[in-house]
Amino acid sequence: MRGFEEIDHTADRAFRVYGRDMAALLENAARAMQALDGPRPLAEPSATREIEVEGVDRETLLVNWLNEILYLEQAHRLVCTGFQIYEVQDHHMRARVETCEGGRSLTHIKAVTFHNLQLRETSEGLEAELVVDV
Amino acid sequence: MLGRENIERVAEHVWEIPRTFRQDMRVPARLYADQDLLDAALLDNSIVQLVNTATLPGIVKYAIAMPDIHQGYGFPIGGVMATRLPEGVISPGGVGYDINCGVRLLVALGSVQEIQPYLEDIASRLYANCPSGVGSHGPLHLSNAELQRVLHDGSRWMLDKGYASLLDLDRTEEFGRIAGADAAFVSDRAQERGRSQLGTLGAGNHFIEVDKVAEVYDDAAAARLGIYSGNIAVQIHCGSRGLGHQICEDYVSRFQKTARDYGIELPDRQLVCAPFDSKDGQEYFHAMACAANFAFANRQLLACMIRRSFEEALMGKVKNFELHQVYDIAHNMAKVEEHYVGGRSVRVCVHRKGATRAFGPGSSVLPDDLRDLGQPVLIPGSMGTASYVLIGTKGAMEETFGSTCHGAGRVMSRAKAKRMVRGTALRDQLKSRGILVCAGSMSGLAEEAPAAYKDVARVVEVVHKLGIGRKIARLEPVAVIKG
Repeated sequence: MRGFEEIDHTADRAFRVYGRDMAALLENAARAMQALDGPRPLAEPSATREIEVEGVDRETLLVNWLNEILYLEQAHRLVCTGFQIYEVQDHHMRARVETCEGGRSLTHIKAVTFHNLQLRETSEGLEAELVVDV
Repeated sequence: MLGRENIERVAEHVWEIPRTFRQDMRVPARLYADQDLLDAALLDNSIVQLVNTATLPGIVKYAIAMPDIHQGYGFPIGGVMATRLPEGVISPGGVGYDINCGVRLLVALGSVQEIQPYLEDIASRLYANCPSGVGSHGPLHLSNAELQRVLHDGSRWMLDKGYASLLDLDRTEEFGRIAGADAAFVSDRAQERGRSQLGTLGAGNHFIEVDKVAEVYDDAAAARLGIYSGNIAVQIHCGSRGLGHQICEDYVSRFQKTARDYGIELPDRQLVCAPFDSKDGQEYFHAMACAANFAFANRQLLACMIRRSFEEALMGKVKNFELHQVYDIAHNMAKVEEHYVGGRSVRVCVHRKGATRAFGPGSSVLPDDLRDLGQPVLIPGSMGTASYVLIGTKGAMEETFGSTCHGAGRVMSRAKAKRMVRGTALRDQLKSRGILVCAGSMSGLAEEAPAAYKDVARVVEVVHKLGIGRKIARLEPVAVIKG
């Protein structure tokens, strides 16, 4: 099963993400965002962070999760390299993120948007399209 | 699906999608464009996004799109939407993440020819003194109390600290401070992200550009603004940095529930909103005003660092390089204004998302010395192409809630631009045309290639012909600093 793919967007960046379940979708979305325009690690992961995110529904959870990663990278100058989602409910998730000191952040993504966001159930699991503001 | 057949021609360069096109539209959608710009807008989802904004509660007159319209998220970029107060809504997604992204123009009485031998030195000093990149940190280390003052006072704090002159404030939209700011409604996280970022440029399409005044269309009006042919000009394009991004993120996320609580049904979740006079609407407005003030202060500090860079490079070598402010405008903002709708003066919340305020002569909010002329409007082109100085008009007041276009408008995705253009090749090509480029990222440079944008001259020609902006001068770049 594919993890993610970039889709065209005139002004910003967008990608389609897949997952057999919500945990896989959240993990693949984080990997997609990093692949799209994330900072590149300069060293091996040196620490892990516990992240807890809430949202009024699964779409909000997805956006809030990705924005949490952006916050760590831009405010704390960390590079997030590995993502382990170990608890997911409709309004709540917990994850462990591997990080390394990234130095100057190279990411150009300002935020993850809700534009036309809707999680779709497919025969293989879940998919969603996300637009990020750059 | 929306196609050309759904769009009616109202007059030359004026197109409309009637309210009957979709059941949820509250007003028609109106697009200002020539035939080619209309065709370009039909290539992506821009016009669908415009129709979506026509569904927002309280919207009056039309959902408006300028000729530089292109696909954004929620609102199209190049969109204007006004809601009648008190019941009309305010939409954080409608303002966008880069709250009070805008443009400042400085000019000198000296000519570009005189500074040409020192241009490389100027460009490297600008690059060193004006930090760029998404997470970059600026020259000031603000305490909590100082940050709160910046959020409340904007450029006035800069004046108190010696980073601004009274003339700078006089020549800034809202005089550099929008009323209603209250930091109690700005999250700790937003304040944390903003604290170190005052005086930084950011990334994406943000830039500092040294220009030459290439052509003046109205000598008398240009002279009133200190603009003369052949002279030096400098543009700054940036906004409220991580602080604004976080405020938008906080409220768009929170309003996912709020909009439902108010029973507001939306075609796109990014359009979430709340009635302006509600507790939620007011809290967002207080926070947005803080970000707006931060952005005014940010461009002010950058202007200060630019003046310092010019001094370092030119002192004792050439004369008349001192930079005077022409104006500073916002192009992502929601503002409370009075406009005539159906012959009556109405209090509205005007959302400009990639659109510029363009108040005409006589407006009471303009500085005394410009009131009879109208508001200066700054339209940056894409990298390596011309930019324009316009003046706001009576036509804009009557037709577009005192608004006009904001730039060239993209036609090509960033991914495609990167596939088609190599950053280093573009830098060399611009250099061969006499344009120096300092950029933190070559791939970022490729994304901003001129081919990815519409022709700004064409966009400006449309607003000029329609009378929603009047051409005063054209600027051509000689050095570009990019994040």
